[in-house]
Amino acid sequence: MQAFRKRLLGFLFPLETDSWLAILRLGLGLQTTLYSLSLRNDWNDLLGGGGRGLGSRDLAEALLSVESHFVPRLGWFAVSGEHLGLHEETVLAVAWICLLVAGCSLLLGLACRLSAIVAWFLHLCAAESGGFVSYGMDNFMTIGLFYLMLSPLPDRYSLDWQWRKWRPKDRQLLGFFRRVLQVHLCVIYFFSGLTKCLGSGWWNGSSIWRALIRPPFNIIDPEILVRGQLVFPIVGVVICLLETGYPFFIWDNKTRSIWLICICGMHLLIGLAMGMYLFSLVMIILNVAAFGPDLIRTELRTYQSGTVGKALVN
Amino acid sequence: MRQKYVCAGWFILHFLLIFLLSCRETLRLVAEGPTILPASFKNFSQRAEKTVSVALGQRLASSNPIRQVVATYLHVAGIEAGYGYFAPNVPGSYKLVFELHYPDGRVEYELPSVSSPAAGLRIASLLDGIGRIKHDVLREHLVKRLVQSVRREHPEVKTIRAVFGSITLPSVTEFEGGKRGSYEFLYAYDFSLQNEPAKPKNR
Repeated sequence: MQAFRKRLLGFLFPLETDSWLAILRLGLGLQTTLYSLSLRNDWNDLLGGGGRGLGSRDLAEALLSVESHFVPRLGWFAVSGEHLGLHEETVLAVAWICLLVAGCSLLLGLACRLSAIVAWFLHLCAAESGGFVSYGMDNFMTIGLFYLMLSPLPDRYSLDWQWRKWRPKDRQLLGFFRRVLQVHLCVIYFFSGLTKCLGSGWWNGSSIWRALIRPPFNIIDPEILVRGQLVFPIVGVVICLLETGYPFFIWDNKTRSIWLICICGMHLLIGLAMGMYLFSLVMIILNVAAFGPDLIRTELRTYQSGTVGKALVN
Repeated sequence: MRQKYVCAGWFILHFLLIFLLSCRETLRLVAEGPTILPASFKNFSQRAEKTVSVALGQRLASSNPIRQVVATYLHVAGIEAGYGYFAPNVPGSYKLVFELHYPDGRVEYELPSVSSPAAGLRIASLLDGIGRIKHDVLREHLVKRLVQSVRREHPEVKTIRAVFGSITLPSVTEFEGGKRGSYEFLYAYDFSLQNEPAKPKNR
């Protein structure tokens, strides 16, 4: 029991540098900024309440209340704004501006913790209030921002570090939150791959074809796609293997680089071929933050031998 | 050292929830099928999914504090959904067409429109959601919101008919044989400018 506890703590609390956190902060700062900008003209239309919004915010929030009254939502701001005599459009516009500012602040590394909390909270409000118009990307953004908010910010590349001389106290906490992100990605890919393996379409390639011609992801002309039909079964099987094998091959030094490159390549292709740019970006950011620094680190060997799974414990 | 134990405890609980939710999602997909597993797995999956839901507190009364706390945590951590994207198979998609009837008898057709591709993905997600909804009132409410946005852009319109249908995607062989995506009518709703209740016309 003692040995198990020691091994568990060793796994959970490796001594870690802040390279991964810098990647996560910069990446999610970019993601939050692009997310805000991509919705700048549709923000109020999608998230407006009182029967005006396409996303039926009132209905989404009512359904959310059945689950829990405490999940953050834009309706809270709308009600508060009403008490202050502010129109809902103004409140939503302020929320959008705050989200954009939080994204830019994360990019710069200014008031990192506050920016991460604001970005997480406002994005969560938008994702929950726009439940009917949310999709997978919103979940991954919430996950990333949730971990970023809890991680020991700032990192050495942030303005907080340079200007205010703020320093995180505990390097093992850095290791812990990186481990959380790593394990979470393993669970995500394993179950994503497993559920795909259950469908015959991923083995015979028809799911690849259907995914690429399905509106609104049909940005490549099917006449061009049909020429590559022989490749679809191979691509389908490769995706199943890459995803299901992720938790088994990403930890080993020998296979990590190939797995990470393939997974990032897969997301890049999804982004380009299906127009899911923000989804692809957030997945690449999470992967590179979780497992990337071991591939590119040179200066940080002092702390760790370069093996993700081996931990140094005090 | 105490901080480490607190973190380790949180880690175990956090991933227990993630694991249970992922299992539930996988079991749901197997139960709803079709999958490559034998049909006998469906019953087992249905029962197992219920058991996992009990473990997650989702069978408790909605006012139960444990259920509320778990649900809140799942949402704030972004882990309330499973990860079965496009699984086990890629589904077809849905289409909503607005038929705009003007007082002079003119009829125009329009699709839900937004100003950016990013918002377009969200509208597609909304249409998928509408297609999955089994409650007529809820579905009508969501369609009505989309109709109202069209009405704001065309205030002179007398009535709007919203026609909702599913798109059946062709296989590669069918596509090569000249077949393209086929549209199947599912529901239609008539909305008048006087804001009368919609008159649903199911297939």
